[in-house]
Amino acid sequence: MTRLRKDTFVPSRRSFLIGSIGGGLMMAFAPTINALEVVSGGVAKQLLDKLFSPTVWFEIDNNGQILVNIARAEMGQHIGTAIALIVADELGADWEKVEIKHVDTDPKWGYMVTGGSWSVFQTYIPMSQAGAAGRTVLIEAGAKLLGANPQDCKAENSMIVAGNQSISFADVVKNGNIDRVFSADELSEFKPKNPANRQLISKPSKALDIPAKTNGSAKYGIDVELDNMVYARPIVPPTRHGSVVKSVDDSLAKRVKGYQGYQTLKDPSDTVQGWVIVLADTYYGAIKAGNALRVEYDLGQTANVSEQDIIAAGEALVQDKESGTLVVEEGDITKVAGTAKTSLESLYRTSSVLHFTLEPVNAAVEIKDGTCHIHCGNQWQSLFLPVVAKAIGMSEDKIIIHQYYLGGGFGRRLIGDYMIPAALTAQAIGKPVKLVFTREDDTRFDCVRSPSVQQMTAYWGEDEKLLGIEHGAAAGWPTLAVAPSLMPDGLDKKGKYDPFSISGADHWYTLANHRVRAINNPLAQKTFVPGFLRAVGPGWTGWAVESFMDEIAHKQNIDPIDFRLSLLDASGKNAGTSPVSVGGAKRLAQVLTEIRERADWGRKLPQNQGLGIAISAGQERDMPTWGACVAHVEVNPKTGGVKVHKLTGLMDCGTVVHPDGALAQTEGSMLWGMSLALFEGTAFEEGQVKDTNLNTYSPLRMNNLPELDISFVQNTEFPTGLGEPGLIAVAPAIANAIFNAVGARVRDLPIRPETVLAALLT
Amino acid sequence: MIEFSLNGKNIRTDAEGDTPLLWVIRDEFGLKGTKFGCGIALCGACTVHLNGSPVRSCSLPVNAIANTDIRTIEGLEDQHPLQEAWVEHQVPQCGYCQSGQIMQAAALLATNANPSESEIETYMSGNLCRCMTYVRIKEAIKDVAMQSDSVVQIHNPKTETQSTQGVT
Repeated sequence: MTRLRKDTFVPSRRSFLIGSIGGGLMMAFAPTINALEVVSGGVAKQLLDKLFSPTVWFEIDNNGQILVNIARAEMGQHIGTAIALIVADELGADWEKVEIKHVDTDPKWGYMVTGGSWSVFQTYIPMSQAGAAGRTVLIEAGAKLLGANPQDCKAENSMIVAGNQSISFADVVKNGNIDRVFSADELSEFKPKNPANRQLISKPSKALDIPAKTNGSAKYGIDVELDNMVYARPIVPPTRHGSVVKSVDDSLAKRVKGYQGYQTLKDPSDTVQGWVIVLADTYYGAIKAGNALRVEYDLGQTANVSEQDIIAAGEALVQDKESGTLVVEEGDITKVAGTAKTSLESLYRTSSVLHFTLEPVNAAVEIKDGTCHIHCGNQWQSLFLPVVAKAIGMSEDKIIIHQYYLGGGFGRRLIGDYMIPAALTAQAIGKPVKLVFTREDDTRFDCVRSPSVQQMTAYWGEDEKLLGIEHGAAAGWPTLAVAPSLMPDGLDKKGKYDPFSISGADHWYTLANHRVRAINNPLAQKTFVPGFLRAVGPGWTGWAVESFMDEIAHKQNIDPIDFRLSLLDASGKNAGTSPVSVGGAKRLAQVLTEIRERADWGRKLPQNQGLGIAISAGQERDMPTWGACVAHVEVNPKTGGVKVHKLTGLMDCGTVVHPDGALAQTEGSMLWGMSLALFEGTAFEEGQVKDTNLNTYSPLRMNNLPELDISFVQNTEFPTGLGEPGLIAVAPAIANAIFNAVGARVRDLPIRPETVLAALLT
Repeated sequence: MIEFSLNGKNIRTDAEGDTPLLWVIRDEFGLKGTKFGCGIALCGACTVHLNGSPVRSCSLPVNAIANTDIRTIEGLEDQHPLQEAWVEHQVPQCGYCQSGQIMQAAALLATNANPSESEIETYMSGNLCRCMTYVRIKEAIKDVAMQSDSVVQIHNPKTETQSTQGVT
């Protein structure tokens, strides 16, 4: 994962340019230091000529307004606010004068992806350094204007202050003829501010994107209108892969007012296979015409696949000890298995889950003057831009993805497959096209969270000492489906694996013998495009690991928190590495110790009620967010129904850059965790998901809201991610609470009342 | 030809009678604040007011609303105290459902001056928030209800101002 992130997503050493341009001051990263050495001329000229293709930049105009460009997608995480806070704090800016702008795709922004809970983690250092370089230059120029020594000046509230003298950023920008380059080495000398001197980071602040989201003015992809555009709706074929259109009968569609015919797509990128697009003057016309169209197909191979088929394939795979790719190998589990006195084996399963972003996927496309303009909300522009290029046979530099607010991301919009049919249709008819999926079209085309099957086996020796754990996890792999080149080799070099689909199994508990196998489920892979769904792998690995830790604790008759603490000794690889994972498993132990107090663990509860604990270390070992959840549930022993009274969450994500945003993300992700635990889950039937709308698919609503008590460990460590981690521990905490309430062990997600009842009887 | 009032302005549409009001509002009159979510009246993203009552515009054919008053989020003109409370409580995440949430909540407070916790939950549970901002929605509604002893009147542009946001 380190390799993937550092080399692929973040350009390495970059210089930083600051120059007076057009009455303002512009600040930008140059891509490489080599470029700097071969180009001569002033910074202003270089910036103006875009010789450096600056990748991230901000500017201050002569009124002192500060504009920070944001290359990350805004999907509810208020990421622009967090990034702008980092810059503005270092700069010494007045927050009231800071604005953000979400930018379109352009190579100058570098690799564009918003996911993995990476945004703050990845931008913290570069944006801190950018802000600090800007501050340095403003202080130097301001000191000159004030006749002061730069050492005696400070920047605060957009003013350069020297004793009782001061000058505003605006006046410095107006007066200063600034022309300055910081080399990558100079830039790296800037360390983030001493936390005691921070003005904005970790302080209360309001998100910049929120006002527009309270009056209808926030613009999403679905709100785009293009001149002379034609409305389009897809006819999603019966299988994700391999469907071929045999015939189309539009005789009934022709009766729909405004019907403009249909297109059968040919897609050189093979993203969409067997697709017909219906066109009309209005979107409602396209919906009706789509309903009236009769399409016959030669079906793909997976037309009869059911959820049970996929689960059965997974069960067979995990039971075959030779299957999969070795991801963790501590000690010798094979030897332990041969000599163990006792063992415990449990099988955990999770159902297919829908993203159900409330804004159905959509894209508006116009090919004009040799450039293809794609308008939509998207999380991973750099992944699908080349796919669009292949589909429509245009070069990547002639394609621009224009960015809008996302009506929900949750990983669905990491995969930009919905752009392809829109682009192909626009190309085919020679007119701008706005393709909108109905809710049912959207769910049938979803890149669902794959069903998963995991086998956990624990072994004990003579003295009833836990010897080790073996873990096999089988699922469809998103990275294999859309970005196989990002998959690393397994430990035994016998194959590659999807790190996103197994992360979390490489946990921070110290075990002398520990083996993890990541196993691809080929039937899942064939039947659908496995998607990245909020938290991805840890969403299911955490389910198995944390449920199983509880099973082990109960088998050993140890309190589940005491048991976990006994394995969180921060030894060996679990010691952590400065700065990102400094403290290692000790920080997880601290979170666990604190939540024990906070949730009043061990208190007496009424009959059929229980508390359950689970922990998580976030999305990956290279970016741990240390977290714990205590669920307080009540089980109805007659119906098996589960009511969650309260969720207590405690997170250590290091420095909390935007505290209210962090709280909001954790509220949302913990409730997602509860929704996935109790309310969400679909199933494949005849090659497709059976639930296509809210009449049968029921995410959590306000009437099921539990009490939430969320807090953050206050420290000044390196900031990690928060978009997903809150989700991970909730489902196992609920399952462990159910066990503590009524003694029923559930191992399938979602937890359905009938499963609880069945477990009560065993 | 169907005539109705949209945010205080009398308008007419030539849309087919079975066209859901949602698409008329969004695509014919350009008011994009009202959102398309599920199309079957189960998510609430498309909530508007019909003569002051909340309705799901995705499932309401335009021929059923002749001569009625329709109000959308734009028709609140940033004047409704809920909108301020939504900012104060930092409610929205992705924001896509929030027009519908605010319209639903405005209808609640227009008829119930002091809704209990469970009345709020019951009234608001038809509105899905996929980001799960429910805690804050509830707090913002309670906050506005507490600020006023009486029901919260919905801003009426016809009587209070000449401007009609978004409709020209």
